[in-house]
Amino acid sequence: MSDIDLELQVNNRNVRRRAQSHQRLLDFLRDDLNLTGTKEGCGAGECGTCSVFVDGKLVKSCLMPVAKAQGTTIETIEGLAGEGMSGAGDLTPVQKAFHKTGASQCGYCIPGMVMAATSALRENPAADIEEIKERLGGNICRCTGYSKIFEAVEIARDVISGKIAATALDADGAGSSYIGNNVRRLDAPSKVSGRLRYAGDMVMPGMLHMQVLRSPHAHAAITSIDTSEAAALPGVACVITAADVPGEDGFGVFVHDQPIMARDKIRYVGEAMAAVAADDPPTAIKALSLIKVAYEDLPAVFDPEEAMQPGATVVHDYAPDNVVKHIPVRKGDVEAGFADADLIVEQTYETQQVEHAYLEPEAGLAYVDHDDVVTVVSPSQNITHHRHMLAKIIDRPINKVRFIMSPVGGGFGGKEDMIYQGMLALATMKTGQPVRLVFTREESIISTAKRHPARITYKMGLKNNGRITAVAFRMISDGGAYGLSTEGVMRKAAILSCGPYDIPNVQIDTYGIYTNNTPSGAFRTFGAMQAQFATESHLDICAEKLGLDPFEIRRINMMGDGAVTHTQQTLGSVSIGQVLDAAEQSSGWEAGAPRMRGPERSDLGGDGTRPPCTLGARFRTSGKPGRQEVA
Amino acid sequence: MLTCDQYHMPTTLPEALALWRAAPEGSRLVAGATDILPWAREGRAGHVHLPAMIDLSRIGELSGYAIADGRVRLGANVVYQQFLTDDTLRAHLPCMPFCSIWFADDQIREQATLAGNVVNASPAADGTPPVLALNGDIEIAGLDGDTVVRRSLAVADFLKGPGKTDLRPGEIVTALTCDSLEGYGGSFQKVGQRRSLVISSVCAVACIKTDPAGEVFEDVRLALGGIGPVPVRLTDIEDMLKGQRITRELIAEASSIPVTRVASRTRQDYRRTVVRGFVEAAIDDALADTGAPVPVPREREKSHV
Ligand SMILES: Cc1cc2nc3c(=O)[nH]c(=O)nc-3n(C[C@H](O)[C@H](O)[C@H](O)COP(=O)(O)OP(=O)(O)OC[C@H]3O[C@@H](n4cnc5c(N)ncnc54)[C@H](O)[C@@H]3O)c2cc1C
Ligand code: FES
Ligand code: FES
Repeated sequence: MSDIDLELQVNNRNVRRRAQSHQRLLDFLRDDLNLTGTKEGCGAGECGTCSVFVDGKLVKSCLMPVAKAQGTTIETIEGLAGEGMSGAGDLTPVQKAFHKTGASQCGYCIPGMVMAATSALRENPAADIEEIKERLGGNICRCTGYSKIFEAVEIARDVISGKIAATALDADGAGSSYIGNNVRRLDAPSKVSGRLRYAGDMVMPGMLHMQVLRSPHAHAAITSIDTSEAAALPGVACVITAADVPGEDGFGVFVHDQPIMARDKIRYVGEAMAAVAADDPPTAIKALSLIKVAYEDLPAVFDPEEAMQPGATVVHDYAPDNVVKHIPVRKGDVEAGFADADLIVEQTYETQQVEHAYLEPEAGLAYVDHDDVVTVVSPSQNITHHRHMLAKIIDRPINKVRFIMSPVGGGFGGKEDMIYQGMLALATMKTGQPVRLVFTREESIISTAKRHPARITYKMGLKNNGRITAVAFRMISDGGAYGLSTEGVMRKAAILSCGPYDIPNVQIDTYGIYTNNTPSGAFRTFGAMQAQFATESHLDICAEKLGLDPFEIRRINMMGDGAVTHTQQTLGSVSIGQVLDAAEQSSGWEAGAPRMRGPERSDLGGDGTRPPCTLGARFRTSGKPGRQEVA
Repeated sequence: MLTCDQYHMPTTLPEALALWRAAPEGSRLVAGATDILPWAREGRAGHVHLPAMIDLSRIGELSGYAIADGRVRLGANVVYQQFLTDDTLRAHLPCMPFCSIWFADDQIREQATLAGNVVNASPAADGTPPVLALNGDIEIAGLDGDTVVRRSLAVADFLKGPGKTDLRPGEIVTALTCDSLEGYGGSFQKVGQRRSLVISSVCAVACIKTDPAGEVFEDVRLALGGIGPVPVRLTDIEDMLKGQRITRELIAEASSIPVTRVASRTRQDYRRTVVRGFVEAAIDDALADTGAPVPVPREREKSHV
């Protein structure tokens, strides 16, 4: 690979460096100049975490070969705040406004958002809210949401133009309580300035780079893995496989059914089979292609109901029925309840697999310290449990294993599983060098846990007055190839299955089932979303059949203070009544049974709605042919 | 990851052509790199190692544009954002600002070239239908010995299918030449899964000129993208409208015809429904852009049931 002698200006400093021709501007800024405020959320132009100014124009640095930066003037998030290359100066009004409005949750998208906001206001200092939205269209946020971000840009715009005083950027007083008051986040300055380092931003001297060989098959026996050629490649420090695990191999939030890397067989597409640690990522990538794996295809099962049938393909020998967990809950007498009903409604609901899509792809850095402590730095949502599991897996006493939680660039449950920290530990133990692994977006999507897809069969008995007499709820969830959080998700789904409603007779069964799909795990609501989707949809259908207003049927059945749930929990105070009132008022609800369709509906196209497929907030049509003006 | 042995940044066309001719098989030309870099990723081409990449963005001859004899000659390095921000281009290519605003996002538009979009020959490319509507020709240069030889052909003939063009080994696209439609109204319709950064499921473009009173269609240009292997120009509908009085009925009738042109491999029913609405919307919006009165009532949904 050829090198390029680059001369350019970065954040007001002249830089002369030799770069590698395959680098993107993003790599050069992060790896060579250590300007890690510019992030890589996708590497494909889709997310905007890598936005930088090149000769005054905002571009996505993941789409720019570094050679294109020759002779240019670059400004990164670190350079916005005046002094020095790495952001030593005071925050800009845009950054201060993000701090003010709390527009920084995990913070991973925020440097890019600040850059896009800065660009929007430089291009048009008077941009209105629609134009701001349009100009920030290339940047994605997964956790703050966009309201606070847009609010921040509007405040910054007005401060910069002098329309409002700069004091608008100051903290609001917290008053006597933090509750109900606008309190600024302590960590926001580090996020809006790009100074906060996530695991993938961290470096150590002598650090190796890891790449992972992933399974192309859904279910296959591994008959052999030959790593000799890969290990012999110059620049490769080590290759690891399941054979390198010194202790008891197995992790999982509930059942420890998952090996650090596939052991004897692979159970889903994307499962780790081997990993390489090398001097640089291209060498590690090359080494992966030299690893030879021989497989013997096994029949695979992809549908959980099929997996429950006798004789189905078995995913884990310890669970011949493919059941990860079955949670049954019984209360009262459902048959009597159905017999007592005037109406019985049965329906099946399905929810799909969902990717968390946190903007920070998984990353970790591991090293063995001077006291032989195996240390793993990663955005783990579960470090204590990970530490205990890893100690067993690598056969070290617990005081020789340390986990450090790096800032989590979005997790939503998806970073609860120890799916890569073990590989890092093994590689650093084998080499004595620090080892870093940073997932690509594609790798994150293919290999990490998803929200459980569920199929829920709902049977509900009701009186004509809307009172529910009985519910039979059966949920079959696709747990995928490994247990991860499935047991807990099934339990939570069973607990929350019937929603905040007081139902005298219930029969609940939730099943988490092994298949050869991507494993399912924790995801915001932990099983409740699937159950709630079914319950609330079902209530709407029942309301329609009984001619009741959907709010009414819910009020008739809702729990009150002191209610006892079907899992025997007494609820001191129950707020569903207030929630319903608020929802009814703020939605502009038209009372009545939900029978209105299409043109009869008066809430379409009214206030607060916007027609689909409109763009062009910055066009100002002048009325003359071909004379649109652009703001 | 995309790696290469050599990354060249020639500054003249002859230099680029010589490098390109000498480049080992498998080498690639690079303009904005917004197609090439995402292509070399998992799920698409995977890790790719190229012998050479020849970056065209510093070749002076390929940048900028010139207007003469009713034609706009767009250098191959013209990027999408220019169609939005350059007053002269906006006046002469009235559909392009609307196409541009729907294209990717503000940041990618600073990098992505129209020429790269056309050469990439995606059936869903947003730039190609407008170029067809503007009677676009593509200019191509190659080397004969040490002499630069040039040829030009209609973009409609240049595109051979998804990812396939008439470009021959050793050739470089130098420009796209389009009709100057100053005085026309332009419009662009697009639908995808979201607003920014999205590949079109269907897109439609219109450029319209009316008589001074705004009552008669003097000229109409229409094209569709995303509905088959290559974008299509709707000359039959253009002919049907030209010289006619502008009425709601005529527009509705005309927009029901291209429904039969949908030849995509997937979601045909959806695309048919969209096409009808889009052709009508494209005509309406282009009329609005001319300043002519759009025949009301403009209730597309009703005229289609
Ligand atoms: C996030 C994202 C969003 C996108 N959104 C859209 C969209 O909304 N609509 C759309 O249509 N496209 C979209 N694209 C695709 C892409 O941006 C366009 O196709 C763009 O116009 C390609 O131009 P480029 O200059 O970047 O091409 P490059 O990637 O540099 O090149 C593309 C191809 O053309 C060849 N080439 C380029 N210039 C020449 C030349 N002068 N002579 C010969 N060959 C040449 C290259 O060898 C390559 O094969 C998007 C891409 C990304 C990453
Ligand atoms: S847009 Fe560049 S990393 Fe996502
Ligand atoms: S704060 Fe935007 S992605 Fe987390």
